[in-house]
Amino acid sequence: MPKRVAFAQLSSCWGCDQSLVDLHLRLLEVLPQLEIKYWPAVVDYKLSDLERLPKGSLHVGFVEGSCRTQEDVHLLEVMREKSQVLVAWGSCSCYGGVQGLANQWSIDEAITRKFLKADTVTDPRVPDENVPGFTDHIVPNPDIVPFELIIPGCPPTSDNIYDAVVALLTGKPFDLPDRTVCDECPREREEKHIKEFHRTYEGHIDPNKCLLDQGYLCLGFATIGLCGAQCPSANSPCKGCFGPPPSIKDHGAKIIAALGAITDMSPEELKSMFPDPIGSFYFTDYAASFISKIATAERSDTK
Amino acid sequence: MKSSTKMKSTTKSKTSKEQFEPRILALCCNWCSYAGADLAGTSRLQMPPNVRIIRVNCTGRIDPTFILDALYQGADGVLISGCHPGDCHYTTGNLKMRARFALLQNLLEEAGVDPRRIHLQWASAAEGDVFADGIRGMVERIKKLGPSPMRRGGK
Ligand code: SF4
Ligand code: SF4
Ligand code: SF4
Repeated sequence: MPKRVAFAQLSSCWGCDQSLVDLHLRLLEVLPQLEIKYWPAVVDYKLSDLERLPKGSLHVGFVEGSCRTQEDVHLLEVMREKSQVLVAWGSCSCYGGVQGLANQWSIDEAITRKFLKADTVTDPRVPDENVPGFTDHIVPNPDIVPFELIIPGCPPTSDNIYDAVVALLTGKPFDLPDRTVCDECPREREEKHIKEFHRTYEGHIDPNKCLLDQGYLCLGFATIGLCGAQCPSANSPCKGCFGPPPSIKDHGAKIIAALGAITDMSPEELKSMFPDPIGSFYFTDYAASFISKIATAERSDTK
Repeated sequence: MKSSTKMKSTTKSKTSKEQFEPRILALCCNWCSYAGADLAGTSRLQMPPNVRIIRVNCTGRIDPTFILDALYQGADGVLISGCHPGDCHYTTGNLKMRARFALLQNLLEEAGVDPRRIHLQWASAAEGDVFADGIRGMVERIKKLGPSPMRRGGK
């Protein structure tokens, strides 16, 4: 019997959907086993189609994106109500995603910047008709409703999604591994004493040696190994887009711990190398960090 | 016993800064600062009672997660006290802490959380007075900053 499933998009770039359809012909292996009840990314479903379903009638609900609008919160709650197994699909859904970086500012500052002050704006006005209101800050979905499973990644690879879907269809577990991107990376590494960091476009990258050893900030050591080390394999440092392995509580704290151990620089030099630690260390999971939660409390208090 | 609980409930409603007694976590290394804290105690140096000390073997063992988690759980400030540079029992643990601390300061500052809520000091086993001064300074700083946002009910 096919499983009833839904794929919902909250505020997101839809890259996770793209990664799913990138399965190409392998999609044909799983599609016959799925009874799709809601998937607006590919078929013209309406929210009411989802709302009409009986409670708990979906075997699996996939949620992509995070809650930037009140409408997103509503859709998330409906998905929770209808799904027996709810899956946080992609780093947006698991950790808040790139849009979580906006938690550095109040929503008013963010709206002013985007709609009134951005260089490309020619007709400055804040849209206020027929649009849902914004949420004050990004809260990771698992802090809003409970989830049975998370599949991190920005986006998760097609293989990750395939493995998760097959596990869900066959009732097998899909556990996140406690390995890192470094564990999957083929580059040769040495004892680290980093004296200087370079931007990715500076210098020539040796294709065989560890990027970190060469002074490029590669976050493979603090990032869960699920992607097959695809960025370092393509001569580009890992930006940490999959978030940390399950045993690490705070991605950026782990990165800071490691940088303290492998760098050979004065505190002043180190500070000047990382003027934007939030952007550098919490690319897709700032909203899930301790410091974002503290800063958010600070802001709502002084409002 | 009874009267003290009563006192608590009457002072609770007043929130002026004079009455704010900070809760500070101090992470001290076993070999220097914890011994220094001990010395401060046995020499009966006056120290404000706002600090809870946790002993670690070396400041190099302090995962930045401990510090951020403590602030998240409502500590008003976190003080880290270790051996002077060059004196680390494990050679360079304190230098690792110093580097981590520099990045943590950048992180707090960028996030909009006052970086003075965290502080790093050096105090050797013989410097009970330096340790006690450090604690007093920390308490004064945090009193000026006010309670942690996590305790102000602003969540
Ligand atoms: S996790 Fe990444 S790829 Fe997926 S929707 Fe969010 S931003 Fe896009
Ligand atoms: S730090 Fe980056 S380049 Fe080095 S081993 Fe880890 S993933 Fe590979
Ligand atoms: S290497 Fe890092 S940044 Fe690249 S896909 Fe993997 S986790 Fe993401």
